[in-house]
Amino acid sequence: MRPPRRRRLLLQPKAVAASHPAAVSLSDPFVLDIADMLEDSVSSFSSSSSSVLQTLRDASSHSLLSQRWPTHKDEPYRFTDTSFLKSSKILPAVPPSTISPSFSSPSSNLITFVDGHFMPSLSSLSSLPAGAFAGSAADITPGPLYDTVMASAGDAFHHGDLFWNLNGLGAPDLTVIYIPDGERMIDEPLRLRFYSAAASETGLGRLPLSNPRVLVVSGKLAELAIVEEHLEAESCEGNGCYWSNSVVEILVEEGGKVSHSYVQMQSRNAAHIKWTFVRQEKCSTYELVEISTGGKLSRHNLHVQQLGPDTTTELSAFHVAQSDQIQDLHSRLVLEHPRGYSRQLHKCIVSSSSGHAIFDGNIKVNRFAQQTDAGQLTRTLLLAPRATANIKPNLQIIADDVKCSHGAAISDLEEDQLFYFQARGIDVKTARDALVFSFGVEILARIPFEPYRKSVSDRVKELLTAS
Amino acid sequence: MACLCFPSTTPLPRFPSLSPRVSITKIFPSSISLFGPSRFRSHGVDLRSQATAATLTVDYRTPGEETLDTGPPRILLEVRDLSAIVAESRQEILRGVNLIINEGEVHAIMGKNGSGKSTFAKVLVGHPDYEVTGGTVSFKGEDLLNMEPEMRSHAGVFMSFQSPVEIPGVSNMDFLLMACNARREKRGEPALSPIEFFGFLSPKLVAVNMNPKFLDRNVNEGFSGGEKKRNEILQLAVLEAELAILDEIDSGLDVDALQDVAKAVNGLLTPHKSLLMITHYQRLLDYIKPSYVHIMEAGAIVRTGSFSLAKQLEKEGYRSVSVA
Repeated sequence: MRPPRRRRLLLQPKAVAASHPAAVSLSDPFVLDIADMLEDSVSSFSSSSSSVLQTLRDASSHSLLSQRWPTHKDEPYRFTDTSFLKSSKILPAVPPSTISPSFSSPSSNLITFVDGHFMPSLSSLSSLPAGAFAGSAADITPGPLYDTVMASAGDAFHHGDLFWNLNGLGAPDLTVIYIPDGERMIDEPLRLRFYSAAASETGLGRLPLSNPRVLVVSGKLAELAIVEEHLEAESCEGNGCYWSNSVVEILVEEGGKVSHSYVQMQSRNAAHIKWTFVRQEKCSTYELVEISTGGKLSRHNLHVQQLGPDTTTELSAFHVAQSDQIQDLHSRLVLEHPRGYSRQLHKCIVSSSSGHAIFDGNIKVNRFAQQTDAGQLTRTLLLAPRATANIKPNLQIIADDVKCSHGAAISDLEEDQLFYFQARGIDVKTARDALVFSFGVEILARIPFEPYRKSVSDRVKELLTAS
Repeated sequence: MACLCFPSTTPLPRFPSLSPRVSITKIFPSSISLFGPSRFRSHGVDLRSQATAATLTVDYRTPGEETLDTGPPRILLEVRDLSAIVAESRQEILRGVNLIINEGEVHAIMGKNGSGKSTFAKVLVGHPDYEVTGGTVSFKGEDLLNMEPEMRSHAGVFMSFQSPVEIPGVSNMDFLLMACNARREKRGEPALSPIEFFGFLSPKLVAVNMNPKFLDRNVNEGFSGGEKKRNEILQLAVLEAELAILDEIDSGLDVDALQDVAKAVNGLLTPHKSLLMITHYQRLLDYIKPSYVHIMEAGAIVRTGSFSLAKQLEKEGYRSVSVA
């Protein structure tokens, strides 16, 4: 049954072989099986055969042919063990036909995805500013926005890996959000909620795979706040098995500002693999606050590309790896124009001997990026014997007039701090809990919305205290 | 103005306070020392020779405070032959320290750098860097050395740190509330809510001359030297400890800040609270008057005297008081 389908994917084997000489020999049966399965599954969504989506799928399947499943011999996966995925039976996620009322939310500017599908009935878009757009790429009328979306779908993103392309091939739709020039959407942020509802029980070795894909375009001088949450449906009771493979692209146009909060609290039996690809036009600002505590395997690939001078980029991440969890951030900031300013702070807690934290933070300062001011700091707390962290800060600097700094620290809790608590009558357990939580406060405090900051902080506190 | 003098055979009455109202005037050879030999328990010291030199007069007392308690003073802290080493290097620091502090007394330990003063303070509160190798310490009759650091705090021992550590991510308010409620829980009292706690805290903030804004800041983070020390005293005020050990509370402070801190400490002293100050300088003792001054050398208290010993030290250096 399978060979004919595979042939469909290898539509133009000769052309591929010409452009990627090694492509055919590298074709990986495991990857092709997933690709086949995705191709079958998306063809069943008849409504979504727009030309944009077709372009995206063609480009993705084309790239997939030259990609094999990563191993520890591939530098980006040197420390990240993906065997959990490899050993699972991967199936397309089919969203439940009836939607549980627990999904409903009174929040405005809400866009809900269930298993990768945009759910208009669970979204609230009436409060979007005039001229804004939120919906399927298929519904965009020809014009500048269409051109932007089309370009981003068709242009191969050279840093995109296997998972980027699997998403491109398997995304049921491309959801586009456009905020017009000069618009301010700060107090009522744009909420992107990704739910995984199609989950398998533990122990069956089956992983329903979903591929949500979103493109956010923030117009010139616009200010936009985004709250992006990856959660699991309550019906899964916190331990469903699934694989969420998402892509969020953000384009910040000239002089604009995007403040992005990304919170990942998926099931401890799930795989969460995510790409965030940000492009910044000149004089724009992008701020990311990332809180990641969920997933058995959680990998965030963050790529920020500078498209013009005088950009500001602030990246903060707080990860918690507890028992049998991998928390991985691979970030890359590419500066190619003068006077970029960037700060990155990565903090991670590994609280169990089977917990594993990975950070690969690359900052590339190319030849024309003079007077760049880039700073990076990573701090990891290892709280258990044999807890593991692989930390790889790396700066590649070609320009000669730049200010760049980086630092890395890995430690247990400070004895002096613990003793200070004890000396004031506070027992060790309470002191440890307070100190462990306080480690993340620096990042949590950067979530810009008070009620939301508090609710996320409370959940993190609960998680850390329970362990 | 009453000049109170007590015969040496009479135990010291509960002093209303050893705050600035108690002042050292001048030596009255004819007046009788406050320090009866029976109360002077530091070992290896000729107490009588000190007695005449140490004369305290109280120049003012309010009538309400004249509740003369003629019972024997209650021993608060009793240290016998305490020896301790650095846990990591096994280096011996304390070599048989003896000290007795009664309820309501103010003591000062002076000594050269490296004589073991700060180690002594840290050992008393159970700092993990040190290991006790001999001797006993009892506090209110209980074995202090057997207690975890937090138990010692609950028992009523407080040490102000020489350089308090910064704790980013924990607000001063949360820290104080945690400390306060840990103590209340231990005493079987209900925990205070943040609002109740603020009511309890407000007068204490005033007493240590601290802006309430400090409560929102992280513990000691970015505090100046003076702010850190005042914060320590604020913690002391919240915990209402019976024995406060102030480890170089004067270090790194200018005169104004020192006066602030000293005023706050004096404000906390009651007839039932005792103080052990560790310092290099007489200056601090000008503001907080000690009843006893001890000299520490090579890990032991080698001399004990009155305030005049501190003066002698200031004038002539440690050589003049050294036993070696």
